[in-house]
Formats: sequence, structure tokens, C-alpha cells
Amino acid sequence: MLELKSISLERDDTNIIKDLSAVFYEGKVYAVLGNNGVGKSTLAYIIMGLESYRDYTGSVLWDGRVINGLSVPERARLGITLGWQEPCRFDGITVKEYLTLGEKKQFSIEKLVSTLDVVGLPRDYLSRTVDSSLSGGERKRIELASVILMEPRLVVLDEPDSGIDLMSTNMIQRVFNSLSGNGTTLIVITHREEIAEMTEEAYLMCGGNMLKNGDPQEIIAYYRTACDNCKHVNEPLKGVN
Amino acid sequence: MALATNYEREFQMISDVYEKSGGDASRFLNKEIVSVIVSGDKLIGRNTVDGVNLKFRQIEDGIELWIDIEDGVKLKQPVHLCTGFLKERGRQTILIHNRCGKNSEVKFLSHCVFPYGLEFTHKMIADTYVGEGSKLSYEDVHFHSDTGGVSVEAIYNTRLSKGADFGNFFNLTQGRVGKLRVKMIVDLDDEASAQIESKVYARADDEVHITEELNLNGKHSSGLARTIVFATEKSRATIINRAYGNAPYSRGHIECKEIIKGYGVNVGTVPVLFVKDEKAELTHEASIGRVNLKQLETLMAKGLNEDEATEMIIRGLLR
Repeated sequence: MLELKSISLERDDTNIIKDLSAVFYEGKVYAVLGNNGVGKSTLAYIIMGLESYRDYTGSVLWDGRVINGLSVPERARLGITLGWQEPCRFDGITVKEYLTLGEKKQFSIEKLVSTLDVVGLPRDYLSRTVDSSLSGGERKRIELASVILMEPRLVVLDEPDSGIDLMSTNMIQRVFNSLSGNGTTLIVITHREEIAEMTEEAYLMCGGNMLKNGDPQEIIAYYRTACDNCKHVNEPLKGVN
Repeated sequence: MALATNYEREFQMISDVYEKSGGDASRFLNKEIVSVIVSGDKLIGRNTVDGVNLKFRQIEDGIELWIDIEDGVKLKQPVHLCTGFLKERGRQTILIHNRCGKNSEVKFLSHCVFPYGLEFTHKMIADTYVGEGSKLSYEDVHFHSDTGGVSVEAIYNTRLSKGADFGNFFNLTQGRVGKLRVKMIVDLDDEASAQIESKVYARADDEVHITEELNLNGKHSSGLARTIVFATEKSRATIINRAYGNAPYSRGHIECKEIIKGYGVNVGTVPVLFVKDEKAELTHEASIGRVNLKQLETLMAKGLNEDEATEMIIRGLLR
């Protein structure tokens, strides 16, 4: 179980994350829904413990233990990982090397090919290089494949559909199924209702805080009516529950 | 392959190191492949095919070699050159004259293996002429001892005729560098194009000096000069990339990426661009810094520690 207790993070005198608390239970699929700029990606980076996001206050608890002081690889060893919104390019590294972390992890070719199939890529991508010869969407699919192969206990998927065409929501659903089939807890960061609809519970994020949480349909309905045309972006109205 | 007498053992030793450096020694025994093997100051083996003429002569500390590729010759297999030095101390000089006729295509794969060098100096000068419409690439891979006692000076002077296409790639990423001085100079005629590139992994107190120069003398000539150095510990590196746009519509790009790790490194780069024609266009790009943090964190979020992630990123870049 991941618990965030009173997390705050400031940048240039601005509260990016403001006294945020949330709980994510084992094996469930969560959405963190919100407009651009509300702090969703920052929250993902705090959970992963990225170097530039370690100066937050509050506590990140994993199975009841505070993990604020743990580095990225230490958190990864606990089973926490991150699927990046914009995956990096890696000159000279093949997709196969990327997926196997330079052969550090041993997977059969069949396993690699079936995982690529989940994200809609054919076998011949294994020999492609994870550089600018791949489109952003292709790199995104490879990133999702690498997350599936990790079999993490918890993954934060930052805008899993960004860079991927709108027709690929089936692929995103397959990725969610594959991960949750292994018992992985998913925290899906998104601003798209269709993606939030695929989850079991949703948080609505605004102004660096969780504004509401509950059934995804209810959260989406609120988001559609209140947030789509919000005149108070990042300044949530008082009294919303 | 004609092996000079009494050199079978030396050939075997060089072949073993050649394979360690990534080469395929069986190629030397293939009669359809042009190959030259030098050990110390001796030519211990050579082979050629129709359309490729080899000549050599003994010089002080080494060999002078002429490789003449006739007009219209398109070699399906690369020319394999292997230069080895199996002693700890000494000096080796290799002078190469490559001449490629018109409309020919050839690729050179050169491996320089100095696995035991403690106090060893290797000097190589390759003068290359590429005829009209020809395509030539020259890849030079070095494999040095771990002692840091190897000094290398490698100079490549290349002249490209109209429409010629040239690639020159230097790679020293295995073993210690020691002291390295690389100079690549390319003169380009009309519509010729060139890509020159050096990749080096410097450790301990290694010293690296690289100069890459494109002289875009012909109309519509184009070139890319790129250097990638990974400098660690107390290593030093100075990189100079130059491009001269001397003709209309000539285009050149120079690029230097120095990645550093360790508090004792001392690295620098100097980009030089000069234009003599208002229709020429030159650009440059340079960076010095740590391994990209996002790349590191991407791999660390998958379970690699920082050193493993760095190694994987650098191996990819230097490939």
C-alpha cells in the first residue's frame, strides 16, 4: 500500500503540491485526473523519488514505512516504478537491450515478443534502436512494454496515452489488464476521461491537491462539468467535497 | 591470405586480440577478402583480389603501405586491416596511402591492437584520395592495454573528388586510452559529402586530443564532424571541431558531446566555423556535462543502480 501524507512541494515560492494526501491500495487501478499544470506529473516524480523532487515535505509511506529518504533505484527495488510521459531516446541501445536492461534481466524471445504484441509492436522492433529513428509514440509503447516486463508492485503511468493516437485506447486497456493481472497497483495520471474510465477509483487533482476521490464515473462527471471550463484553474473553489 | 613464414604464432596471438576487440579473425583467411596484417614492424600476412593492388615497403619501426582500388571496383566485403604490437615497449609507424578510383565502393575495417603496451608509441598517417563518384568508409577501432602506457597519434588526411562520399570513424572504447592524438582532415570537392566521427572512453589519467576538420571547398559539398568523449576520473580531453564553408551551397555541421563523471576530469571543446562564401551554411552543437539525468533516472526506475545505468547509456553512445 502506498500512502501520501500531507505532501507539499514548493518551486519559486509557488506551491506545486499543497498538503496532498492520498492512499493507493494493493492491486487496484487508480486514475489521477486533472487539467494540465495541476501538479500530476510532479506527484509522479515525488512517488518515484526523482533527484530534483526530493525536497518535498510530508511523508511517502510504502507498506507503512516512510521511504522519503530512498533513492530511485532503492524505490525500484521495492517494486515501485514510473512509466514516463515522454520517454527518453537512448542512442545506440536496441529495444531488446532496453527491455532487458542490457541483458541484466533474462527474458525469452517469446516473452519479449508477446509483450511487444501487447503494446502493438511487431517482433522486428527488438533490433531497432531507441533513438530518434523511433517516433515518440513508438518509444511510448516500448516504455509501456518495459514496465510490463518489470512486473512491478506499483507503477505510476504518466499520461500513458500521450503521443499515441486516439484510436489506441484498446492498447492502453491491454496494458492495464496485463499489469493488473500480475497484481500491480496502477496510478494512471491523465487528463483524458476515456483513460480514467478504465480505472477502478479516481482522484481529481487541482491546484496541487486532491480535490475529490471516488468512483471514476462520478469524478469524470464532475471533471466534465466543473474542470473542462474552469475559470479557477489551480485555485480550487472552497467547499468542494 | 599469404602468411609470411614463421609468423603463424604471432598471427594467432594477434587474431585472438583482434577478436577481443570485436573483429572476426576468420576474415583474414578468406581469399575473397582483401586483408593486411602488420605485427610490430613486419607485414605478416596479406591478401588481395582483382581490382585492388597492394604494395608495401619496410620503414624504420614499421610499414608503408599503398592500397590502390581501380575504377569501378565495388568490393562486397570490407578490406580488413589489422595492426598489432605484442611487446610491452617499443614504437610502431604505419604509413598508409589509399587511392580509390572513379565510381568505386569500398569499406575499410581497421583494428589496432596493443594489448600489452607499457611504454609503446604508435603513429599512423593515412592519406586517402577518393575518386569521382566513389564511396569509401574507413573505420578504425583501437584496443589498448589497461596500463595507460600506450601513446597513439593517428592522422587521417583525405581528399574527396566530385560527388565522392566518405566516412571516417575512430573508436577507442576498450582498455585504457593512454595518450591519444587524433587528427582527421577532409577536403571536399563539388557535391562531395563526408561524415567523420570519433568516440573515446577515457579513464584514470588518460589524455585525449582530437581535431576534426572539414574543408568544404566544392559547391554543394556537405559534411558532418562529430566527437563523443566519455571522460572519467582524472582524464583530460581537448576537442577541436572545425568547418570551413569555402564554396556556395556548402553545408557543414560540427558536433561535440563530452560526458563527464568524476571530480578530477578536465575537458574542453573549441568549435571553429569559418565561411568564405555567403551561400555556405555552417552549424555547431556542443555540450559538456554529466550523463543526462532523465536517462539515468529512467534506467534506475527500472532497477539499475547509477553505475550500471551510466555504463549502459555510455556503451550505447560510444557504439
